[in-house]
Amino acid sequence: MDIVFEIMIIILSALIIGLFFLGLSRKIMARIHWRYGPPIAQPFIDIIKLFSQTSTSHGTLFNLGIIFSLTGSVVVLLFLPLGKMCPLSESGGLLVIIYLMLISPLGLALSAGDAANPNASIGISRKFLLAMGYEVPLLLIFLAVMTYYNTISIAEIVNIQLLTGWSFQHLPLLLSGIAYALILPAIIGFRPFEMIQAPQEIASGPMAEYGGKFLAFTTIQHAFNVFIGISLFTNLFLGGAGNPGYFFLKMLIVFILFLFVNAVTPRFRIEQAIRYLWRWPALLAFVGLIIAVITG
Amino acid sequence: MDRNKLGKWLKSPGKMGQKYSLHALYFCTGCGIIEIPPTITARWDAERFGVIPVATPRQANLFLITGYVSVKTLRAIIRSYEQMPEPKYTVGFGSCPINGGMYWDSYNTIKHLDKYIPVDGWIAGCMPRPEAVFVAVTHLWTLIDKGMADGYKNYRKNYNSYRANQEKVLGKLEWPPLFSIKD
Repeated sequence: MDIVFEIMIIILSALIIGLFFLGLSRKIMARIHWRYGPPIAQPFIDIIKLFSQTSTSHGTLFNLGIIFSLTGSVVVLLFLPLGKMCPLSESGGLLVIIYLMLISPLGLALSAGDAANPNASIGISRKFLLAMGYEVPLLLIFLAVMTYYNTISIAEIVNIQLLTGWSFQHLPLLLSGIAYALILPAIIGFRPFEMIQAPQEIASGPMAEYGGKFLAFTTIQHAFNVFIGISLFTNLFLGGAGNPGYFFLKMLIVFILFLFVNAVTPRFRIEQAIRYLWRWPALLAFVGLIIAVITG
Repeated sequence: MDRNKLGKWLKSPGKMGQKYSLHALYFCTGCGIIEIPPTITARWDAERFGVIPVATPRQANLFLITGYVSVKTLRAIIRSYEQMPEPKYTVGFGSCPINGGMYWDSYNTIKHLDKYIPVDGWIAGCMPRPEAVFVAVTHLWTLIDKGMADGYKNYRKNYNSYRANQEKVLGKLEWPPLFSIKD
């Protein structure tokens, strides 16, 4: 009973915090442009509107893929500790997360591929190339963290950090943390890695054929994705937190910092992004891994 | 603006959502599109009204037709309009879609847009200022509130006559009828 309650709390808070982050990003971007901007609740208004509209389906896989994608994100959420809450902390840990993080792009690809829109195909190919770009440094970062702490469980890593201080204070994990910060915009789809959606050049990419409730589901999935990327960073490198309030405060600060990067940078082309991701973050993560192996 | 009244949100969430989240499809016909970039960017900021541009008709529910409509673009306008999810609202922008404007005797533009797709409101002028777009948006809110922005229902109901008008100008249309044609 307790675990069901925890699962519901985590999914609900991830939904609300994720959508709140999206609204906050629109408001802060507007203030940076010297505009007044929409209300912070605008993503909630959009979701309510999208669910009240009619929508066009393009086939069975179109419907199932989007559910597959949303499920992938929700399952990853359950493996991440939120404060002390982590319903699935006993099983898997970082190794499972690195597998599960590919499910949501895969579901979106199945779904958008069924719509047979050329813009959607370009968007999907960019999404997978980008995933290939950031998975290499991400794996090296995870290996360094697992080697340093001698465990694969995130809950345990958070507990150790509560005793011995943030991971950022130790040298090998400082390098890994910087590498994660460099790939975080790619994971959550922020500029300069916004080439998946790119409304001005490929008509919002995989989202081109989504309308009505399908678009609502993709927006929710994006909100979950933002939550997962930042929550992983907070848990692994910023020490997690004992209670959810402090955890959300840390996430908020990280999110606003990356929002400023998002506001002032243009968009990479896909091959520039791959070249960047496999060069600097991968190099830093690799050096971090080697130091972690030698000293640990 | 009753965007912050919780009672109205609980009473009819769908209608309030449709009011305050207008995703606009700007159809770049004619010179009216010149007025749209300042409207949506930093100078006039349409986003504070919940109006943002989207890339494809599937995501849109507000259709702004900016400027004269040539016969060739009418085909694309009809296809885009039919792809938008309901409920959807159309606003004709500038005097050309209303009655032809300065192109009233042109051989290649249509005179009255509302013969071919239903139009919920007009913004008169040549050119209308960006402020006029916001007046139109706030007016559209009252129309949605009273249930008078029902162009999409009219399109369903009178699809026969709309389709006949479209075929009169464009010849045989290559896509099948959206709704069943009863005669």
